[in-house]
Amino acid sequence: MLNKCYIQATSAISPQHTFEGEFHTQPFVASTRNLLNVIEPNYSGFISPNNLRRMSRLLKIGQTAALKCLVGSEFPVPGAIITGTGKGSLHDTEKFLKNIREYEETALNPTPFIQSTYNAVNGLIALQQKCTSYNNTFVHRGFSFESALQDTLMQLQEGVESVLVGSFEEMSEEHFYIKGRIGHWKEGATNETFLADNQTTGSIAGEGSAYFLVTAKPASRNLAVIEGVEMVYKPTTEQLGNRLQKFLAQHGNPTIDVLLTGENGDANFAHYYQYLHQQFSPSTTIIPFKQLCGEYDTASSFATWLATEILVHQSLPLSLQAYNTASLQNVQHVLIYNNFMGEQHSFILLSK
Amino acid sequence: MIISTEETKKGLTYNIMEALKQQLKEQIIEALNLQDTKPSDIDDNAPLFGEGLGLDSIDSLELMVLLERNYKIKVEDPREGRKILQSVQSMAEFIQSKQVA
Repeated sequence: MLNKCYIQATSAISPQHTFEGEFHTQPFVASTRNLLNVIEPNYSGFISPNNLRRMSRLLKIGQTAALKCLVGSEFPVPGAIITGTGKGSLHDTEKFLKNIREYEETALNPTPFIQSTYNAVNGLIALQQKCTSYNNTFVHRGFSFESALQDTLMQLQEGVESVLVGSFEEMSEEHFYIKGRIGHWKEGATNETFLADNQTTGSIAGEGSAYFLVTAKPASRNLAVIEGVEMVYKPTTEQLGNRLQKFLAQHGNPTIDVLLTGENGDANFAHYYQYLHQQFSPSTTIIPFKQLCGEYDTASSFATWLATEILVHQSLPLSLQAYNTASLQNVQHVLIYNNFMGEQHSFILLSK
Repeated sequence: MIISTEETKKGLTYNIMEALKQQLKEQIIEALNLQDTKPSDIDDNAPLFGEGLGLDSIDSLELMVLLERNYKIKVEDPREGRKILQSVQSMAEFIQSKQVA
C-alpha cells in the first residue's frame, strides 16, 4: 500500500467562487442551460502579457490555478509536476482540425497544434517555475486525476519531497453540442441546487482546474492528508461495495464523517450511488458535489479540493448548506466516491 | 509643374508599398494577437524579434503561415526566413519582389 501525503496548498478555478476571496461564505452559482463554465480570474497577475496573448482559455486556466497553488508556498519549485486531463485543450484541438480542413492540410498555425497537446499546461508550469524534474500528464478519461494522484503517491514514496498534482478540463460549445446529441446532458431547465434528485437521464456539463501541493512528510501547513486512492473499472454494484470495504479496511476502517458523491442526476448511473449510500451509517453526512462543478472527466479533483476545504473549516460551505443544515463537528475523515459515465469509479480518502 | 512618367511610376510604387506595409502590420497584429498594439506603433524598420515587438520563434512560424495564407508565398529555406522576417519593411520588400516575379 502506498504512503499517504500531506496537502500544503490548494487552488481551484471552477464555476463557483473558488479562486478569489472566501469560497466558504459565497452563494451557490447555478447555470440556466445545463452547462457550468468556470469563473475566469484576472490572469495578468500570474502570466506575462506576451505569453497571455498566445494562450488559449484552458492553458490560462490550468497555468493560473497551478501558479496560485505554488505562489508563497514552501515549495515554489516542486519535485514533480503531475496532472490529469480527460480531453486537454478542446478549443485548440477544434481550431487545429478546422484549419486542416479549411487550408487542406497546408499553412497550419503552430500555436493551436502545440497547445492542443495534453502536456502543454505542464510544460508551461515547468518553464515558468524553472522546474526540470519529473513531469507527467495522465489522459485516462475518468481516471485521469486519480492516475495523477496515484503517480504522486508513488513519486513521494520513492523519495521526492514535494509534488504539484492537479487537473484541468474545459467544455467548448461544440463539444457541449456533440455530447448533447448523444444524451449526455439534460434537456430543458434543471433544478441544479438539488441536481442529484433529478432522476432523468443526462447530467449538466462542467469544467474546472484544481491543484494540490503535496509533501511526503508533514510540513508547515498540512491542510489535510490524502490517505489513498482506489480505482475500479466497470464494476457491478456488489463489486463496488467489496472494493470499498477493502479500501477502507486498508486504511484502518475509519469512521467516515462526510461522503462526497459524484451524483450527477443521471438516472443511468444512480443505482451505484444508491447502493453505496446503504454502506454507510446515518452518522455519515452524504453530500453530492456535481451541482457545484458539473460533470467532466476530472471532476474528482474538484471534490478533493472541496474535501480539503471542509476539513480545514470543519463545516460545509454556504453553497452546500441547502443539502444539509446540520452542523458538522469534528470532521476527521472525508471520503469521495465518483464515477464517470458509469465506467471509471474511484474512491479518494482524506483526513484531518 | 510637370510630373514625368518616371516620377509617376515611382509615386505609384511608393503608395503600393506603403499600403502593403500598413496591411502587413494589421495582419501581424491579428495573427499574433498583439493586444494594445496599433499599426502606427510598429516602426517599418524596427526589428520584429528580440527588441521591437519582442516576438519569439513560435511567432516566426506564425508569420511564415501568414505569408503563405495571405500572399501564397512559401518560405522554404529557414535561413532566408530570418532575413525576410527582420522587419515589416523587409517582409514587404520580399512580398513585392515575389509578386513582381
